[in-house]
Amino acid sequence: MAALNQEKTVELAEKTVDFALKKGADEAEAFVYQGLTTNISIERGQIAKSARIIDHGLGIRVILNKAVGFSYTNILKSGEAMEETVLKAIKSAKASKPDREWRGLPTKDSFPSVKDTYDNKIFELHPEDLVKAASIMLDAAEKTDKRVFPIEGGVGVSHLSKAIANSNGVQGFDRGTFVECSLATVGREGSEVTPVCFEFNAERKYDINPEWVGREAARLAVSALKAKKIETKSTNVIFTQFALQQLLYYTLINAVKADYVQRNQSALKDKIGEKVASEKVTIYDDGLFKGGLRTWRFDGEGVPQQKTLIIEKGILRNFIYDNYTARREERESTGNASRAGYLSTPNVEATNFHFLPGKQSQKELINNAKEGLLVYYLQGAHSSNPASGEFSVVATPAWVIKNGEIAYAARGVMLAGNIFDVLMNVSALANNERKIGQLVAPWILVENVKVIGK
Amino acid sequence: MKDFLTKVTDLAVQKFGAEYAEIRAQKLFKTMLTVKDGRIEAAKQGIENGVALRVLVNGAWGFASVGTFDIETLTSAISDACKMAKTASLKLKTPIKLVETKTVEDKISVKPKKNPAEISVEDKIDTALAVNNTVRGYDKRVKSCTIDYLDLTGTNYFLNNEGTYIEQDKLYVWSRILATASEANVLTFSREEIGSTAGYEVFDVETPEIVGKRAAKRAVEQLKAKPPRGGNFPAVLGPNVVGVFVHEAFGHLAEADLTLSGSVLLGKLGKKIASDVVTFYDDGTIEGAFGSFKYDDEGVPTQKTLLVKDGIVVGLMHNRETAHKFDAKPTGNARAEDFRFEPIIRMRNTFMEPKDHSFEELLEDIKFGYYLKSFRGGQANLDGTFQVGIQEAYEITNGELGDPVRNASISGNTLETLLKVDAVGKDFELWPGRCGKGQTAFIGDGGPHVRVKEVLIGGSA
Repeated sequence: MAALNQEKTVELAEKTVDFALKKGADEAEAFVYQGLTTNISIERGQIAKSARIIDHGLGIRVILNKAVGFSYTNILKSGEAMEETVLKAIKSAKASKPDREWRGLPTKDSFPSVKDTYDNKIFELHPEDLVKAASIMLDAAEKTDKRVFPIEGGVGVSHLSKAIANSNGVQGFDRGTFVECSLATVGREGSEVTPVCFEFNAERKYDINPEWVGREAARLAVSALKAKKIETKSTNVIFTQFALQQLLYYTLINAVKADYVQRNQSALKDKIGEKVASEKVTIYDDGLFKGGLRTWRFDGEGVPQQKTLIIEKGILRNFIYDNYTARREERESTGNASRAGYLSTPNVEATNFHFLPGKQSQKELINNAKEGLLVYYLQGAHSSNPASGEFSVVATPAWVIKNGEIAYAARGVMLAGNIFDVLMNVSALANNERKIGQLVAPWILVENVKVIGK
Repeated sequence: MKDFLTKVTDLAVQKFGAEYAEIRAQKLFKTMLTVKDGRIEAAKQGIENGVALRVLVNGAWGFASVGTFDIETLTSAISDACKMAKTASLKLKTPIKLVETKTVEDKISVKPKKNPAEISVEDKIDTALAVNNTVRGYDKRVKSCTIDYLDLTGTNYFLNNEGTYIEQDKLYVWSRILATASEANVLTFSREEIGSTAGYEVFDVETPEIVGKRAAKRAVEQLKAKPPRGGNFPAVLGPNVVGVFVHEAFGHLAEADLTLSGSVLLGKLGKKIASDVVTFYDDGTIEGAFGSFKYDDEGVPTQKTLLVKDGIVVGLMHNRETAHKFDAKPTGNARAEDFRFEPIIRMRNTFMEPKDHSFEELLEDIKFGYYLKSFRGGQANLDGTFQVGIQEAYEITNGELGDPVRNASISGNTLETLLKVDAVGKDFELWPGRCGKGQTAFIGDGGPHVRVKEVLIGGSA
């Protein structure tokens, strides 16, 4: 399916580097990306859409006199296009200004092996199989309750491969598969519409349960009906993984990126070794997490991915680095260079941000909270202050917890505070760990969160 | 190009029995820069050529996207799209139909005063560095400055089996400036954006000095700002916040696909949902504005669409599919980010119409409230719950502007809030922005200053 096979892909990357050096680059790096995605989509209660997207390209980074130039093309099969793109990258570097902090591309290292990141079965699926899975999901949702309206969702599979080569002899190839099924629903009764409720499975191996996804998305919508306003107060809040992911993505995850730290944009600057969270909190950035959605053998610049301890029982231990930010501090990259396919240069990004789970079941955690709020999703997390970690967001849908049980849905609820206060106030964690985007985490119980209601 | 594309759509119709087939081909060229604290991270240039094919077979959509113009690949992609559509149609309950539109043959060229494709990378770097120097030089407390720059030029080709063929030049210039400041333990953050479809001349108006100062000044002034009180308060919204409110809180609900999904506007056509002073438009015809274009990605001409008139919902934003469902005229709102995406209903330049109040008049009756001047992100839900983050706000006490306030946000229910709009200013500003709905669209939004009787302020204190 891919335009080029493994051998040809690596060969293209190496040829590109050679050509760039021949044309005068001091250093060069080539990144080849190939992706194939097939989707069957649900829209407003029916399966009505299909899509196949083939995207591939070559991104070239060259360095001349410490100035970096980058260019890309999505034409892979022509030597001419490759050469033109190299020349453009060189031209860009010449137009740019030297970066005094530039200390070279990564050097060669051996790559670790990773588990459960590729499944042949995904490759062998036919669109009919995806229609069948989507149909099971849709039926499960509709059977649950008449008040449920499935608004969108679908089943999709992707196959990605990447190859890298640079002028220091780094050379690598990796491939991965992904499968996802998801359903968004609303509950409707009379003139009441619930907020959008959402459930999904995303895996690297063909291990999804569309029936469960459909049923859960429907159950959430039904239980979000008859929502009531609540009083303003400080209370216990359980964040599900969805809410936690939205909250951390714009705050804590940025604060541990070396790039943010070095540029005075992180509230965690100079806090290594200090207590920044409750002792219940231990977080790894685990680029090798088994079956992780961000697990690869090497990162976006050919550095082996690894497992990095970020917070250990509340104490800040490490930041995450790419090669550039690491060398500024004369240390090793943590394998956290990420790139948007062939279209961009590498940026510091978390891999699988792993919030270690606790021992309580979901039910025990709710019971433990006694009074408070169960927050499923947040709206507006992207408007958080990325520098200070302050947020002011809507919790929707959310449910009121009374006497250790879920009582009813709440509407018009805002949460406000600072992510670092939230982390300090984590009092318990559930054992229901799951993967959502770059987060792997359980539900967490946080005390004393400011909830603004009527 | 036309003959070449016709061959592909003919194949879909004649060989695979598609009832509709369209093809969008793109030749795009981009320049991108990221400058962090005066360091040019990389000067980037790229070419993206690709084709998107979309077919209706037995009432279901098939879509295929490939990054090549190679005829063999296109032939296999269109056959793929048709086969997949047929498979998807197996469980179809209501076949998809498209509203009829006039066929068009047209060629749209852009004539910028300063074509970004003809400006050297060196010049673009100098502009970005000038912004950086303004920001960094504004005050010692400014700690960092990140500038992203993007320009995109090229041509879109659209052809469908109904006889429409359009060649349309594309031109976008965009830049974002992020500044942070710190003092004691306070960290502040400020964002500015520039966007134009006219040309690089946008920097003659939004000069590096003007934009840089705006970003830096806000970051520094926020240092002495206090957190807002949480709760319901009267508020005056600045044009920048009104724009994002109209876009997020109302606009998305009026995108007909989301209306059909059950947004609170479903069944509200012809009904009053806002106070008499509220009139909203979505307008793709404003020259040079960031959300403007001539034809949408279904080959439908853009227009100025009236959405709310004097508080009554009079229109929605449509593509050909939803227009058929609503028995309405298509409005030219079908947009695709590029050949990797299907066209979906997107906004263009969405704004509130100005009325008659001066800024002072809006403030004068407020004993205590907030002036919300500039936003930082916003989001809405189908049930009408909206949230807009605020990056610049001030207290209003006894009709006068008071102390700055940081990290505020507003929330509420769109329909409840629209009924609480009680006075509308006579000024007007339109701001560039980007909107995400699974894919990115360049948009504009704006309006005058507006007073709201009360809105929920999310305070961190």
